[in-house]
Amino acid sequence: MRILDILLGRTRPVPSRLDSLFAISTAYLTLTADLGLMPGGRAAVCFRPIDSARFEALGVDLQGILKISGEETGVAIRTTTDSYGFQWVTVESSDFQELVSTIHLVSLNLEDRGFGDRLLAAVFSFLDGKRPIYWVYNYKRGSFYPFVPGGAPGQRDNARELRLAAAIGQELPVEKDMERWYPLWEVPV
Amino acid sequence: MRARWYGGDTGLTVRMFVTMFLLFAIYLAFLAVLFWAGAGYITVAVVGAALLLVQYFYSDRLVLWSLGARIVSPTDEPELHGMLDRLAALADLPKPRLAVVDSEIPNALATGRSQRSSVVAVTRGLAERLDPPELEAVLAHELTHVKNRDVTVITIASFLSTVAFFVMRNFAFMGLYGGRRGRDQGGAGAFAIVYLASLLVWLISFFLIRALSRYREYAADRGSAIITGAPSQLASALLKISGTMQRIPQRDLREVEGMNAFFIFPAVGAGSVMELFSTHPSLEHRLARLERMQREMEGRLEDPGHSSGADASGPFAA
Repeated sequence: MRILDILLGRTRPVPSRLDSLFAISTAYLTLTADLGLMPGGRAAVCFRPIDSARFEALGVDLQGILKISGEETGVAIRTTTDSYGFQWVTVESSDFQELVSTIHLVSLNLEDRGFGDRLLAAVFSFLDGKRPIYWVYNYKRGSFYPFVPGGAPGQRDNARELRLAAAIGQELPVEKDMERWYPLWEVPV
Repeated sequence: MRARWYGGDTGLTVRMFVTMFLLFAIYLAFLAVLFWAGAGYITVAVVGAALLLVQYFYSDRLVLWSLGARIVSPTDEPELHGMLDRLAALADLPKPRLAVVDSEIPNALATGRSQRSSVVAVTRGLAERLDPPELEAVLAHELTHVKNRDVTVITIASFLSTVAFFVMRNFAFMGLYGGRRGRDQGGAGAFAIVYLASLLVWLISFFLIRALSRYREYAADRGSAIITGAPSQLASALLKISGTMQRIPQRDLREVEGMNAFFIFPAVGAGSVMELFSTHPSLEHRLARLERMQREMEGRLEDPGHSSGADASGPFAA
């Protein structure tokens, strides 16, 4: 019903896809062994909150639950809001598989409450020498893309990103449309 | 289907559908009259279509050029670009180009015939006067225009209206080479009928297109609220923009008046036009709808049925 939606000007938020998120688990070996990236030990989910007291209450609720599950598994979790008004749930753990499953859990929880369309991206941090490199999961597309911030604000190292995307090859579902390699500034990981 | 945190607007959908249906019907009737009157008018219609196609392909550049809009890079405007990046990602759109207009009048517009070639432009005055969340709401409004392909929809909708206007204006001239088809005695009669039909079609379609344009605005307001999750931010942005509009001297406003259909807020003095003639709904109506959306949102979030039974079995069951 895409054409009808366009004709009648209906906006439907794009639902999120969680199915390809675990692809980064399997690609982890290639990323670290073959591409020479160091694990950053951190990952984050970014979502757009709804401007409502009720939604905020939900956030508090979520935070409490996250703390509990964090204590169980030894994963450090914290939530922050960036200057764009987006919320980040940051997860810290030396075990990469645990990072991925916690990120999945957080996303699933939002989706279960009917807020799946609010998910913007999940970010997995790596280190290239001393330089941070991010693999970003786009929930709308179910695909990954690399993001390498450059020196100045608003700058990114496109050449390095292209090399990373080429090197990972078939291991990750990499976003083919480069106009959708949206940069994410102020990543808290 | 899963419960949603936002409501729908069936009334708006129905009205848009009826408007489009009426436009289509009147255009069909117009074509029938043209066809009946003779082949000469069909030629006119084809020429009109060709002209419109040119307009369709060049209008975006024309609009930007006439406004003096300048495409800006992420290094020039890191904050605006950062906002647009995230909104485009949320709306699942390829990122549009960003342009800035050096004008004190706070306004924004989206142009481009396809999602890929679209440009979102904001004036310097807008970026300066609005708070970041309000600016974001305005950008989301423009992105919804891109997503709904409003430039294409309105161009196609105005196509035959333009032709009718053309026929009417060049009526005498066209009589020289067009409209001779069998009926010898009906030559003058057919002439008059075509003239009347053109006048009628142009008049009726004018109002229908204006109505359609207003409904697209409501739809873009809704879209902005759904993307950002904050109807009240757009409401407050509209209030600020309209407030400034009234304080700015008229001369400045008239300079940009021709571009109204593309703007988030029309550049005319408040209360100077009837809403029926306007490309944009009145501020009061837009605010009322946004407020209704906000209320409905709160209601849906409050409703315990909304967070769905899945919670109990979910991974975070407390």
